Amino acid sequence: MPDQSSKTSALDGVRIIDLTWLQVGPQATRLLASFGAEVIRIEWRKRAAVDFLRYMEPFAPDHATPDGGRSQGAARGRGVRGDFDRGAYYNNTNPGKYGVTLNLNHPKGRELLKRMVRDANAICENFSPGQMEKWGLGHDELSKVNPRIIYLRTTGFGKAGTYNNYVSYGPTAQAFSGLTFLSGLPAPHPPAGWGYSYLDHSPGYFGAILLMTALHRQRQTGLGAYIDMTQTETGLMLTGTSLLEHQITGQPTARYGNRMPYLDWAPHGAYRCLGDDNWIAISVQSDEQWHSLVDEIGSPVWATDSRYATAAARKADQDELDRNLTAFTATQERYALMDRLQSRGIPAGVVQKSSDRFDRDPQLKERGYFVDLPHSTIGTWPVEGFPAKLSASPADVGGRTGRAAPKLGEDNDFVYRDIFGLTSDELAQLREEDVI
Amino acid sequence: METNLRDALSGLTVLEIGDQSGDYTALLLAGLGADVIKIEPSDGSPSRQIGPYASGQPDPEQSLFFWRYNLNKRSLALDLDSPSATPVLDRLAAKADIVLLSGEFSTVDRGLARVRQLAAANPRLIVCTLTPFGLTGPHRHLKMTDLTQMAMGGIMAVCGYDPAADGKWDTPPIAPAMWHSYHIAGEYASVAILAAINFRDLTGTGQFIDVSIHEAVNTCTEIAIPTYIYNGLVVKRQTARHAAIDVTLFRLSVSQDGADVLAIVSPFEREEIAFKQLADQSGIPHILGTPEYAQLEKDDRRAALTYRNDLIEQVVASMPADEVFHRAQPLGLAWSPIRRPEENLANEHFAARGSFTTINHPEIGRDLSYPQTVATNGRQPHMRYARRAPHLGEHTAEILTSLGLDSSMLAAPSER
Repeated sequence: MPDQSSKTSALDGVRIIDLTWLQVGPQATRLLASFGAEVIRIEWRKRAAVDFLRYMEPFAPDHATPDGGRSQGAARGRGVRGDFDRGAYYNNTNPGKYGVTLNLNHPKGRELLKRMVRDANAICENFSPGQMEKWGLGHDELSKVNPRIIYLRTTGFGKAGTYNNYVSYGPTAQAFSGLTFLSGLPAPHPPAGWGYSYLDHSPGYFGAILLMTALHRQRQTGLGAYIDMTQTETGLMLTGTSLLEHQITGQPTARYGNRMPYLDWAPHGAYRCLGDDNWIAISVQSDEQWHSLVDEIGSPVWATDSRYATAAARKADQDELDRNLTAFTATQERYALMDRLQSRGIPAGVVQKSSDRFDRDPQLKERGYFVDLPHSTIGTWPVEGFPAKLSASPADVGGRTGRAAPKLGEDNDFVYRDIFGLTSDELAQLREEDVI
Repeated sequence: METNLRDALSGLTVLEIGDQSGDYTALLLAGLGADVIKIEPSDGSPSRQIGPYASGQPDPEQSLFFWRYNLNKRSLALDLDSPSATPVLDRLAAKADIVLLSGEFSTVDRGLARVRQLAAANPRLIVCTLTPFGLTGPHRHLKMTDLTQMAMGGIMAVCGYDPAADGKWDTPPIAPAMWHSYHIAGEYASVAILAAINFRDLTGTGQFIDVSIHEAVNTCTEIAIPTYIYNGLVVKRQTARHAAIDVTLFRLSVSQDGADVLAIVSPFEREEIAFKQLADQSGIPHILGTPEYAQLEKDDRRAALTYRNDLIEQVVASMPADEVFHRAQPLGLAWSPIRRPEENLANEHFAARGSFTTINHPEIGRDLSYPQTVATNGRQPHMRYARRAPHLGEHTAEILTSLGLDSSMLAAPSER
């Protein structure tokens, strides 16, 4: 008989009502779905209400069909106006979830939502602050329907506090919290910031952390929770030692590019290699590693100069050190160089582009990081996996649906009839009245 | 009705063993009430060797890195290879819920042999390893730092500056500073540990978790991977905005008082209307909302966008950064000055939310503010940090006593 525990998922029996959209909320519920929670994603089909990611680039190629997918080849999709089921990023962000439509501007829609909340463990949303209260669906109302409910809201600044009507995308919160400033070359270069919404990712991970903490407590004590979670506070948590350093020294925070001011590590940076915009990151942590590096690059005269003998000396003029090292790396193939440096025990890693990570990275392949999942319109595509292996309750990004993202309203019948017990007649009526 | 998660993990004991890559994971669990016992070698955890230092000089008791990432924890000085460690570790693990092992593969792999025995004796134990690449795979032995993880994991390639006029990059890709590979991996490790806690609630059994920092960083690059998988295209890094297939039209705006300001109007009608209102408030003459602008949009979309971006720059330049922020935000524009982290310390909004905690440091005879939470329940923060990072071995005696052991058993013979 197979081990019974191997069939149990960590979040068996957990139902999440998911009103989230864009990235920050769906990231949290994606993780819950990976551990077996039944995540019911609620959307509305009007263009002004539908998740922006459903009609934002990148799109699946226009030639992708339900029984095909990646096997049909990659190409830049144009998207089809009015078709909300071809968004590639949406597909990557929402695997393992059920998808239903529900009109919360309709009183019957709000009633149906309350009915669902009554039989759920948690509800998640990331509307602008106050939207749920306008609908009469704020935490106070919903906890009357279900006193055990866990309510997670994620916004830029939060519902509580003096900026409680302020709004934010990831980059807004990054700018406000200090994360944008911290990234980049020293002034007079401007901040480089982040080439994506980091604060749409991390608050999603924190959303999962707090939801799972609350679910653990809910199981043990029956208590619910109200979580007013913010992207900007998440940003503060990620500012490292900068706040402490400022308090101690009174000096304004400075940027230091790719260098490492807090350890005797030099050289430390990204160095150009052969090819088009190819780079390798090298971190020399000790004099021993430095001498190995000097050997590897053929002991050129500049490198054996006594002024590079110690870390402190190497750090004294890193501009020149970097120029000299670049003269060598620029003649080298990046992966071969990484292998040679690593074989000498020197931390080195290719600055991998998305193409390198997907096509080439042998580690991601060996660990089965990318997971093929089907979508009912665009076919089967790889989605990003969960970065840890659990021996007894492994993450499965396909979740309970075994599918990538849902089509808009794909699971209306299953969710409303089979889970919540509405009759076919009731469903037809709700459809007629533009409620679902 | 209790809606706050303070101390929701207070029944859990975490044994933390390892290097700087694991500090943040245990910090998060400690912020939710778990009792984290940091087991340090007698010469101190490696993270005590990371600056900056409060004293300005390397000193294991003055490391701001250690202070930041070890709040609420207790320190047990224990050399795991010494014979006297065995009874301590056995008794600790018998009562513990989670063992966190972080560091290079070879070190963690060696430690794991020991921990497997502990887990056999305590089947409820959850064992989480956190290593650069995970415990399997061809790269598992590679030597890594935060910088090389950010490189291999793909974040660096999408962060940096615009190409030069010839379309080639003359500046390197940038790894955003402050240990983000450990942040991302630590958040995922916490997710995985909490999944295992929920699983144990259902089944009564613990398990092994193998976290890969490399994979964690890889999950965190937004559209970079989908754009390649579906479109076969590589997004390109550009100054202070999203990496994209093409180099996009956008500049940083500068306020009247010289601050960089993130000021973007997204392609939503509500934002277009809001920006017109802001432009009206600024008193700068403009043609937004007129038939003339509608015609420009129709004839030459890029020219219309350029006109609007120029107007954004003028509006931002007409006011101090703080005024831009407090005028734009109530209109629904998600704008913000690009602020230094320390500008948050005295911010009224964060003060109202309890986002910071004040902790006394006898080492320097003063208080320091630390960020402590990502969320509140409307009244109180969910995460709470009340205790400064421990001194090396500060809690050794109390922990040994609580285990029923002689509190001086680990002291050097001369100190007994």
